[in-house]
Amino acid sequence: MPQHQIPRPASGAGLGFRRELIEPLKAGVPSEISFFELAPENWAGMGGKSAKDLRHFTERYPFVCHGLSLSLGGIAPLDENLLRRTKSFMAEHGMTLYTEHLSWCADDSHLYDLLPIPLTENAVKWTVDRIKRAQDILGMRIGIENASYYVAPPGAEMNEAEFISSIVREADCLLHLDVNNIYVNSQNFNFDPLDFMAALPLERTCYVHVAGHFVEPDGLLIDTHGAEVIDPVWSLLETAYQQIGNVPTCLERDFNMPDLNALSAEVRQIAHLQSALDKPKRKIA
Amino acid sequence: MNAPDFQDFQRAFGRHLRDPRLNPRPAGVPARRMAVYNELLFNNICGFLDSCFPVCRATLGEKKWRRLNRSFFRDWPSHTPWFREIPREFVRYLSESTIKQPLPVWLAELAHYEWVELAVDIMDCPPPSHNSKGNLLIGQPVLNPTLMNLSYQWPVHKIGPAYRPRKPQASCLLVYRDIYDKVQFVASNPVTARLLELLKNNTLTGRAACLEIAMELQHPAPEALVSHGLSILEQLRQQGIILGTQA
Repeated sequence: MPQHQIPRPASGAGLGFRRELIEPLKAGVPSEISFFELAPENWAGMGGKSAKDLRHFTERYPFVCHGLSLSLGGIAPLDENLLRRTKSFMAEHGMTLYTEHLSWCADDSHLYDLLPIPLTENAVKWTVDRIKRAQDILGMRIGIENASYYVAPPGAEMNEAEFISSIVREADCLLHLDVNNIYVNSQNFNFDPLDFMAALPLERTCYVHVAGHFVEPDGLLIDTHGAEVIDPVWSLLETAYQQIGNVPTCLERDFNMPDLNALSAEVRQIAHLQSALDKPKRKIA
Repeated sequence: MNAPDFQDFQRAFGRHLRDPRLNPRPAGVPARRMAVYNELLFNNICGFLDSCFPVCRATLGEKKWRRLNRSFFRDWPSHTPWFREIPREFVRYLSESTIKQPLPVWLAELAHYEWVELAVDIMDCPPPSHNSKGNLLIGQPVLNPTLMNLSYQWPVHKIGPAYRPRKPQASCLLVYRDIYDKVQFVASNPVTARLLELLKNNTLTGRAACLEIAMELQHPAPEALVSHGLSILEQLRQQGIILGTQA
């Protein structure tokens, strides 16, 4: 029976935990990193060196569990084994927050990537039922992330902000706000990112993502998590903070990994924006 | 309840992603945007396969390898949510499916051999309690729980772009994680493989296992085989394949 850890809720600024970062992080975790995030699909049920490495860090830092394979809007029955395994994995490592994408990744079997859910009333009901069941199994509210997408499924009965709001309200779950996804979608589908963000149930925000993306030659933005965060996305984050206050925020970086110094500079930028919130805005002379 | 209508779109989308040649993209989806998903999803699958099967890839060559990756994605329904199990699904696809593409007869075994390293590296099995100094003949030997005791029809550990065997050559291999969590590969033989097989369930003493083998071989001098067996057992303990005896 694996030993359980005391719960460690995340706060402040964090970084996605990746295998290639383990050695540099063992040499010293930069002070701006207050927590890490991982995908349970990559770490739960592992033994050997990976498990020991993970344990080394979860004994010292809070971790957030960010799922990839649950397929909340998918066709195949909700994977309750995955949820039960994730629940015990979270307890083993003292994790207190689980978030997943508002997307689907399996029809009858897995496709292993995040796909857009048609924005219909039936899809709201379907997804709400699955989120509720997931929350029952995990014994906690989960956060759902606004996803990036490149195709708007035809036959929409509402806009995306309405879709997300209905689901958050009816499932009584939390919002995981990804400001890079808002930006990428706003560019690819020609809408105002600020208007979109303002229409989300921001008061329910439990967690925030910030990341970089790739611009294809024809101008299409791809949510790669493989580049530096750009200024318009930092600016969206700053605006979000005005509404939601200081919410734990993670820098996602999955490709073209720079060294730890470059990553921690971006994490420092998150922490900087957060600390500005705690100070009085302007002194009156 | 009938399947909700929005799932028609999802099914059409999934069918096109798996097999874009045979299934048109769903109505109302622009080609440029669909191409993004086709590329993202197939590259994602290839990434998992490339990192686990470098020898299969180099030996088949890029074109045939990608064709095989595509037929796996198209034809094999994977139900595991764990990314590390995608390579295992690929191994199952190679050994359980009828694949139209002409492939070397040893490819499924080679892929299995490459997958074993990943499987052993991450296997979640804490070592059982044992007496590391126990007498291996009198006591019941305890095996390293990460041990995979493997028999192949082909010399999988030698196959590569420069060596494509034409005739089978049985090879026994032991793969396991040592005390430093490093994956070790050790050449074995049918007698050692059988001995470890007999000891797997922790019900036999080392001596009983050796005598069982003597009987199976109709060995004229079982006691001589027991003393030979002891030296094999001690060597396996030294290598960390046998941890000790039951405490």
